[in-house]
Amino acid sequence: MDTRHQRLLYLQARTPSPLSGIIGLTFIEPIKGYKPEIVATDPDWPYETVHDALVDGWQIVQFPHLQAPFDDRELDVVGYEFILQKMEVVADE
Amino acid sequence: MSEQYLLNDAEVARFLVTGYHLVEPELPVGLNENIADQLDALATNPGDAITEAVPELCQVLEHPAVTGALSSLLGPDYEVQPHRHWHCKQPDSPHMNWHQDGLNNRDILLNRFLGLYYPTDVTPNMGPTIIVPGTQFRNAPTDRMATYTNIRGQVPLTVKAGTVAFTHYDLWHGTAANRSVHKRHMIKFLFRRTRENTAPTWNHEPEATNKPNDWNKKAQAEDANNILNFTNPIGVSQSDHYKERAIRRQNWDFLMGKQA
Repeated sequence: MDTRHQRLLYLQARTPSPLSGIIGLTFIEPIKGYKPEIVATDPDWPYETVHDALVDGWQIVQFPHLQAPFDDRELDVVGYEFILQKMEVVADE
Repeated sequence: MSEQYLLNDAEVARFLVTGYHLVEPELPVGLNENIADQLDALATNPGDAITEAVPELCQVLEHPAVTGALSSLLGPDYEVQPHRHWHCKQPDSPHMNWHQDGLNNRDILLNRFLGLYYPTDVTPNMGPTIIVPGTQFRNAPTDRMATYTNIRGQVPLTVKAGTVAFTHYDLWHGTAANRSVHKRHMIKFLFRRTRENTAPTWNHEPEATNKPNDWNKKAQAEDANNILNFTNPIGVSQSDHYKERAIRRQNWDFLMGKQA
């Protein structure tokens, strides 16, 4: 029987705006044993912005946290992280 | 020290901006192969004693192209620290996630960095080291990197045999999977500054350093001032870029021997 499973997409964007360009991208697929992988060849970049992913049917389930104290000198992680989901049918094995 | 092998202003500026610099020393014929064969045959990892197990590695450290880069960036009295490590990425081993080494107690000034020596050619399917240029000033716990996979601007160190990659100690790095039938060898060395500069220790040309900002070339700039000002290796936001520029300038002044 086919059932709907949650696909996840982590996007690290340049700014907190959904229209912002993407610096990092990770798919988490609801497939047993699935592992995303850093690659030494040109990675596949299906989206240029967070908005591109929305157009493709992804939904934002978590916006970047902006409540942390602002520091105008220190640098920490790269980009602002959006977490998105798409519920799709995944064939049972 | 022969000036022939010292870095120039632009190379020093690019190291400060990107956090890495590649050197391809002309090593004696057969040296890389000899070292690779000995590493292939090692049954256990000797840890810091890798240079006793494979003494030919010292010839790499003594090559003038290597000592020239080290003197340029750490001063002529740099120290080769006793810690070194053989990283052998076995066939069929998976990728390694992004991380910074050590605790999150980062030094933004250029006081130490790594030298990664590769005795064989490294192809994309051999599990190359992958770095993210420009991330060396970030104080980011490795746990917080767990949701990152590929990052725009990441650079796989697919290099020629004999290459030494100097990488800032805090540069984000990981590896790809090794899907080849070959072991991918890398020997990591650690270098440290012992004395603060009172003057530049590279081939410095003051007139080439003080060029005005060129708003037309920006990232294509070839001179130190414009490299420090405009280069944005992974395209971070304006806020982060301003912070990076401030740290780069602080580093440049530190290397120029200017008092804070």
